[in-house]
Amino acid sequence: MRGAIARRIAMALAALAVSIVWSGGAAPAAVDMSVGIRYVSPQGSQDECGAKARASLAAFLLNATESSPGSGDWSAVSANGIAGTPTAVASVRCYALPKGYVALFTCVVQLPDNPYSADALCLDVAHKFYGGAIAVLPPIPTPTPIPTGCATTNLVGTWVSDDKPGLTFTMTLTGDVTDSDGVSGNWGIKGNVVTLTYYGNHTMTISADGKHLRGDGYSLTRKC
Amino acid sequence: MARISRNRVTVLAVAFALVFGSATTKSSAALDVFVGARKVVNGQSETLCNANAKSALSAVLQDVSEVGSGDTGEWKAASAPDSSGNSFAGAAIHCYPLDSGYLVMFTCAAQVPPNQDTASALCAKITAAFGTGGPH
Repeated sequence: MRGAIARRIAMALAALAVSIVWSGGAAPAAVDMSVGIRYVSPQGSQDECGAKARASLAAFLLNATESSPGSGDWSAVSANGIAGTPTAVASVRCYALPKGYVALFTCVVQLPDNPYSADALCLDVAHKFYGGAIAVLPPIPTPTPIPTGCATTNLVGTWVSDDKPGLTFTMTLTGDVTDSDGVSGNWGIKGNVVTLTYYGNHTMTISADGKHLRGDGYSLTRKC
Repeated sequence: MARISRNRVTVLAVAFALVFGSATTKSSAALDVFVGARKVVNGQSETLCNANAKSALSAVLQDVSEVGSGDTGEWKAASAPDSSGNSFAGAAIHCYPLDSGYLVMFTCAAQVPPNQDTASALCAKITAAFGTGGPH
């Protein structure tokens, strides 16, 4: 009896270890920062620096704005990346000198989501500001649109159990399933056959209208 | 025999559910950048700014270096890397000489999560470590 319990504990630990390695397999992104480009103009005002900062940032990024009016601190962000948030930010900071001004350039990108480095971005922004060769930056990969409705090609959406009151499932584009108690699993679909991994594997069938899932003890209806 | 097999499946399923349940609670990381404070310190040299910049960055982050050939006044540092060598936060201090003293600016970035501090919080720590800009 003691041996059987020990085997079960060992098996659970092994399963946990495998699961942790598996779920942690995707490499997290890293922050890449570019510092060091500065430009000193022997003439011109901070306002002129600001106008050039806004224009040079807007050439590559979105929402070029001054952090507060007259501050001389300008920044802009990239379009949203695959995670739905910006993956690149650049700033140009202007400071008025007795004669002219100084502009400092700083860029940050999130790798690997962003398709170019912080140095590449800063070099382009700076060259746009004071002149120089401009390299074409690859476009930011756009977020995958989340399907809506009751498509028969995916299970994305909220499903309600027909026979277990209060039990719902949220299924995402990436194949994740989370029930109303926070227990998670995975889904897959091939033709009209659905595999639901949730307290074991369940083979189910999706209806022709994409609204019902039935089989293996489950009966679910999608909200759509 | 069938009962033992069912128990094993249940144990495995619960183990997987526990792990994936916790894994899916993580929100996706977002890039956070803070264009921090700037100040003019009168009566002090850029050399002192450089010393204070190195000291302040070292107090909060790692891998502190002056960009370029070593006399640029542009300092950067990064957070401790994870086991894969990835760093999730960074900061820069820009020192610029003026006739009356020097100009110093702070810029910070973080990916939250996994970094615990936001870019703003990181910059607050570094600015505090820099102090008034005079001799420490």
